[in-house]
Amino acid sequence: MLSNLAAPTPGQSISDDFESSIVQFCRFAYRNGLDSSVRSTIDSVRAARIVEGESLRNALRTVLCHSKKEWDLFDPLFESFWSGRPLDKPERSVVRLFGSTGKTGEQRAYFFSGDHKSKESQTIVRKRKTVAGATSIERLSKIDFSQLAGEDLAQLEQLSERLLRWMSFRLSRRVQVVHSRSRIDLRRTIRAAAARGTELIELRYKGRKTQASRLVILLDVSDSMNPYSHFLFRFAYALSKHFDQLACFVFSTRLVDVTSALKTTTLPEALKALSAIETFWSGGTKIGSALREFNRGYGRRIRSTDTTVLILSDGWDTDAPDTLVTELSILKQRAKRLIWLNPLLGLDQYEPVTRGMSAALPFIDVFAPAHNLQSLLDLERRL
Amino acid sequence: MPSPTAGAEKPELREIGEFINGFGRLGYVADIGLATAVYLLVRLPKPLLIEGHAGVGKTEVAKVLASYLGTELIRFQCYEGLDSQSALYEWNYQKQLLAIKAREHSDKPAEELERHIFGNDFLLKRPLLRSILCESASPVLLIDEIDRADEAFEAFLLEILSEFQVTIPELGTIQAKQIPHVVLTSNSTRELSDALKRRCLYHWIDYPSLQKEIEIVRARLPEFDHDLGSKVVRFVQLIRQMNLSKPPGVAETLDLSRASMLLRMKQFDSATAEQMLGCVLKSASDLARIRQEGIENLMSRIAQ
Repeated sequence: MLSNLAAPTPGQSISDDFESSIVQFCRFAYRNGLDSSVRSTIDSVRAARIVEGESLRNALRTVLCHSKKEWDLFDPLFESFWSGRPLDKPERSVVRLFGSTGKTGEQRAYFFSGDHKSKESQTIVRKRKTVAGATSIERLSKIDFSQLAGEDLAQLEQLSERLLRWMSFRLSRRVQVVHSRSRIDLRRTIRAAAARGTELIELRYKGRKTQASRLVILLDVSDSMNPYSHFLFRFAYALSKHFDQLACFVFSTRLVDVTSALKTTTLPEALKALSAIETFWSGGTKIGSALREFNRGYGRRIRSTDTTVLILSDGWDTDAPDTLVTELSILKQRAKRLIWLNPLLGLDQYEPVTRGMSAALPFIDVFAPAHNLQSLLDLERRL
Repeated sequence: MPSPTAGAEKPELREIGEFINGFGRLGYVADIGLATAVYLLVRLPKPLLIEGHAGVGKTEVAKVLASYLGTELIRFQCYEGLDSQSALYEWNYQKQLLAIKAREHSDKPAEELERHIFGNDFLLKRPLLRSILCESASPVLLIDEIDRADEAFEAFLLEILSEFQVTIPELGTIQAKQIPHVVLTSNSTRELSDALKRRCLYHWIDYPSLQKEIEIVRARLPEFDHDLGSKVVRFVQLIRQMNLSKPPGVAETLDLSRASMLLRMKQFDSATAEQMLGCVLKSASDLARIRQEGIENLMSRIAQ
């Protein structure tokens, strides 16, 4: 590839200046949100050599972009670079959201990467290392997430990691196929027979590959969900290890796709990736609008035959309940099952009478609590 | 039809404008952006990933490109649970069984028999392998709706997309004789892997503007009345803006136009539109939505 780049194209003399400015443009684009690679820089230069004038913009766009998102970013970048005007940074409402409430910076730190573990509590954990007995596990797994104090929090985190991992392991075991003797796998049978001789004595079979079902998680991260979303994200992570096709979104007033954050190999990495995505933890809730955003933008990801939609929210909604009803009915039509987990359901006196929640009930297949670890583990049977 | 030679050497392929004209002659209205993308696909050469809403003519790009270049189109439809055996190659088991039986009593060693039945004669070539083995000219390989296949299959495609070669355990690695022009399409029902996207050029086809869509109808259905055609386009464009669950694409516009031709419509008014609504709207809730809006109402908005 590189030697290819160095070789001059016959019949075309392009100055080094031009090529170096193409390279500079690529670097500029990478700095401003396009996905970078040496390969695409090389391709940009090669493309620039074989196009003329106006087509340069189209050519570079086709080479450098990899998705609709990048496609939409490209034109302003191109304008700005060649005209020398500074790039108008799109005002990100996210940033303003953080600015408006004083505590959010802190909360971010709390949510991400387990920073909230103070040194003190860590030492305590180390002292008591894994002496958590059966009763303690039972107590911890039944404690409401919102009632946790510092020391318990750290312990519960460890426990949840272990138990949730078990859950996802059991889930994946359950779908494994029993060896059925229905269909002969000729390919492997012949392969085995040819090596040994001629007769097909030993038959090989193939079973049906089980279809992994799909799961879409919609996680409410508004203020009112604050005590819970921390654990619910861990829960989502555990589930992502089982479902091949899992999409995860967080929402408060807007909806953000965080699926990529879950595709990491370890939980700390996932939390780190999540903090890199510009989300807007906390703030008000607009469930209806968030669902509409989902239906419009991602509705096609749902396949009615096998997709389960899991909504994790307390149902406090500042939208008109009509919006929620409309969007839920669309969602219900598309999905195989609609599960709503509500942390407040764990409270003794709670009745789902908030406007949003009572309007939503007719569309929900499974309505269950999600206030403590036990309630999350119980969900295993329903997935 | 141009003679089948490797695309890059043909003199007329040195100009982007040529692609626009050539596609135009074949009834495909391509804008400069798409033409540039196709030009780079042929010249670099690199696979091109085309995304866009349903029915905007993604698949058509590959078909038109093949007939423009005068080469073979090898189409490969993706679906869930797709495996390498239906994409790349399969052994002809029945024939292998016969061969084993026929040589039952010969005293040749088993190794030789194995070499024989895993030879070329027993190989069933599936689309991807066919595109690699093409002798005379670079074929156009269309990998349609890649988002329907699973991620494992995407990973499997990486070798063919970046190196233009495939590996068959029994035969070894096969390098493409003529580098195929690869077009991938996706309805973006899921995010494709970064590794795949990095190996491709990218083009997003949006819904066409009013003017362009009228041009498309004229190019595809030249015998269709022009006034009627632009009315049909206006109608579909209006519906498209209404946030339906399945917004109609260009394919639906063409269906509606063809339907009006077949039914020998003299005019396009609310009664005839109502009659043919099924060409455009494909879900009960969308139909209800439009009826609620009132077709007469929509018609009067077009007339303005």
